Amino acid sequence: MALSSIDISTEYIGEIVESSTSQFTSESRELNGAPPFGSFVKTLGALPVYGLVFNVCTHSIEPNRRATAYGLTEQELREEQPQIFELLKTEFEAVIIGYGNDHGPQQVLPPQPPGIHSFVFPCTESEIKALTNSGDFLRSILCGNRLPADDLIIASVRNAWAARASDMPYLVSIGKDLCRLIRDDYDRLSSIMRRISQ
Amino acid sequence: MNDLWNNLNGSPNIQDGGEIGVVTQGSLTEGVEMKLNPDRSVEDVKAGKFVVIEGYKNQFFSMITDLSLDATNPEILLYPPREGDQLLHSVLNGSSTYVTVALRPMLMLEQGEEIVDEPRPVKTIPSHFSKVVEAEEEDVSRVFGSEEKDDRFFNMGTPLDMDTPVCINLNRFVERSNGIFGKTGTGKSFLTRLVLCGLIKNKKAINLIFDMHNEYGFRAMKEGGQGNSFVKGLKQLFGNQVALFSLDPESSRQRGIQPDHEVYITYDQVAVEDVIALQDELQLNPTASESAYLVYAMYKDRWLRQLLSIDGPDVEQFAEDIGANKSSLSALHRKLKRLENFPFMVNSLNGADAVDTMMDYIDRGIHIVLEFGRQTGMLAYLLVANILSRRIHEQYVTKSEKFYASQNPEDQPKHLVITIEEAHKFLNPATARQTIFGTIAREMRKYYVSLLVVDQRPSGIDEEVLSQLGTKITALLNDEKDIQGVLTGVSNASGLRSVLASLDSKQQALVFGHAVPMPVVIKTRDYDEIFYKAMGDLSDEEKMKKAEAASAAIFGD
Repeated sequence: MALSSIDISTEYIGEIVESSTSQFTSESRELNGAPPFGSFVKTLGALPVYGLVFNVCTHSIEPNRRATAYGLTEQELREEQPQIFELLKTEFEAVIIGYGNDHGPQQVLPPQPPGIHSFVFPCTESEIKALTNSGDFLRSILCGNRLPADDLIIASVRNAWAARASDMPYLVSIGKDLCRLIRDDYDRLSSIMRRISQ
Repeated sequence: MNDLWNNLNGSPNIQDGGEIGVVTQGSLTEGVEMKLNPDRSVEDVKAGKFVVIEGYKNQFFSMITDLSLDATNPEILLYPPREGDQLLHSVLNGSSTYVTVALRPMLMLEQGEEIVDEPRPVKTIPSHFSKVVEAEEEDVSRVFGSEEKDDRFFNMGTPLDMDTPVCINLNRFVERSNGIFGKTGTGKSFLTRLVLCGLIKNKKAINLIFDMHNEYGFRAMKEGGQGNSFVKGLKQLFGNQVALFSLDPESSRQRGIQPDHEVYITYDQVAVEDVIALQDELQLNPTASESAYLVYAMYKDRWLRQLLSIDGPDVEQFAEDIGANKSSLSALHRKLKRLENFPFMVNSLNGADAVDTMMDYIDRGIHIVLEFGRQTGMLAYLLVANILSRRIHEQYVTKSEKFYASQNPEDQPKHLVITIEEAHKFLNPATARQTIFGTIAREMRKYYVSLLVVDQRPSGIDEEVLSQLGTKITALLNDEKDIQGVLTGVSNASGLRSVLASLDSKQQALVFGHAVPMPVVIKTRDYDEIFYKAMGDLSDEEKMKKAEAASAAIFGD
């Protein structure tokens, strides 16, 4: 997608603060404003990089300090201690599932990791469709380190399915790919499929 | 949502002639296996169906012999998806749970090759992942020929779920003795009538039919029919090409039929072999034949008349005179007395001898149906069929030897096909070696006579005879022994076994052997008005018109 078509100043949802070939971490633009777990995001650089959000965390901006419990509701806190919200930040981590070139989104790792301070945007429906037209993205999830694989599969497949207007044959074909990838682990398959379709 | 599911599970997309699966494994001896495409429902794939495997160089014409449900993970079988869990059901279908179809390649043709004469047996197997497609109409006519091509071919029916006719090659059919088998009520008589019509119409052989139940000559009952439940017999279809002989003229007349000839047999025409053939029916002792031969040695052709003319107490004296065992001869005498009850057994003939008349008809190319009328007992059937066939065969042997000596085409005897029902009575292992039918079945067409064996109990037929039968047309058989019997002499019979046991009980038959390039399951041709027309029969109106035209031609308007 051309950079010019996006209003960078208003539409970005995060900014990359840590980057590697397989994963990146972004700071959310707003506190508690991270994209949902399992959603598809992208960075816009020389080569757009596509990722899948697998972890969201909110903590103090200073590494050595922790937030303290006040025993107040958020509303009361905002009225009495508004400064503490300035001392917190939300970060989200994404596993990289592909990058874009002249032929559109490719389901392989990018030649270079996304640049630090690049902005992060949510993927469009057509990009989600292109990234999930085969079950290859499931392999990236299953092979990734320290990923909550089953839940991430459930959330991402639900998103991909929603992008296709809940098309049943698509869900069945993804289910078949998954079945092969998890080597006929019947318990796991039935649990995942049940939770996807709930 | 429900519509979506219906598309996935309930009614898979079925495209006619489309790909139904791919070959996954197999061997030349065991046949090949195919994984069914997940979009095909297993319930649409039937045993016996005719399919084509598209190899790189060859097409393999194959028959589906078995189907099995498989799963990659035994756990799925222990904990099947819950009812209503259609998503999981669809996901598993074709991936973890799948259908394997066993195929038996029956015939191999190079792409575009035509069958010239001898079909080539399968000598190799298709490579991995070769496509398996449903046979198309042109494949069927390429393999089985078509009636338009040649008068060799005769339409017997269509493959399962198809409309193209499957033809048998009648030239090859009459080269050997053949068999028609099936349980009672599966349409054996219809199949037989169909084959006989083919032979008569295409003039491939002269038929002599021993019609035990009076169902070939004139009209016959149609089983399960509604309304008009009679069908036409051969005489009605082929008119004066067929002659009706009757053993029981009274019964024929009662049914409104005027037989062309009445058949009587004199006691002098009964040979000792004919009596031995009745061993089972008359419960003769093994020594009976020895006693009979002793009588024969003394009285020659008059032996039976002589034996039966003696009354009870004199038999022992008679036995002493000829040096036979008293009790054995009196048992034989007692049992043969039953023959005197048959109205067709006479001391002397008034008219011409039945065999001479039959030979005269056969020489003129006229087919013969011998009706038994009310003489439906096995004893009468065995006796008459044996006597007549033996004598006709004797005449054929003489004729053929004359032809072999002169090599004059005019002397060549016309090929004769003898149709016998309840064949296991003639051809059981105990009697097949001694009766004339055993001889005919074994010597093939050396003397221009072959058999069409119709039977419901093939396991009762001698194995040697069964293995010599060229073409077998088999309707449903359930008994394992019968199936085994029919498949005697067939290589790679294991696949056909399941096909045979899964035939419908009506209008379906498995045809295999000499007259077809490959075994095939057919839905037999309807025996109806369309068939009558194809056989050259005219409807009543047309007959009337023809008669009017003929009379106008003779007498003027």
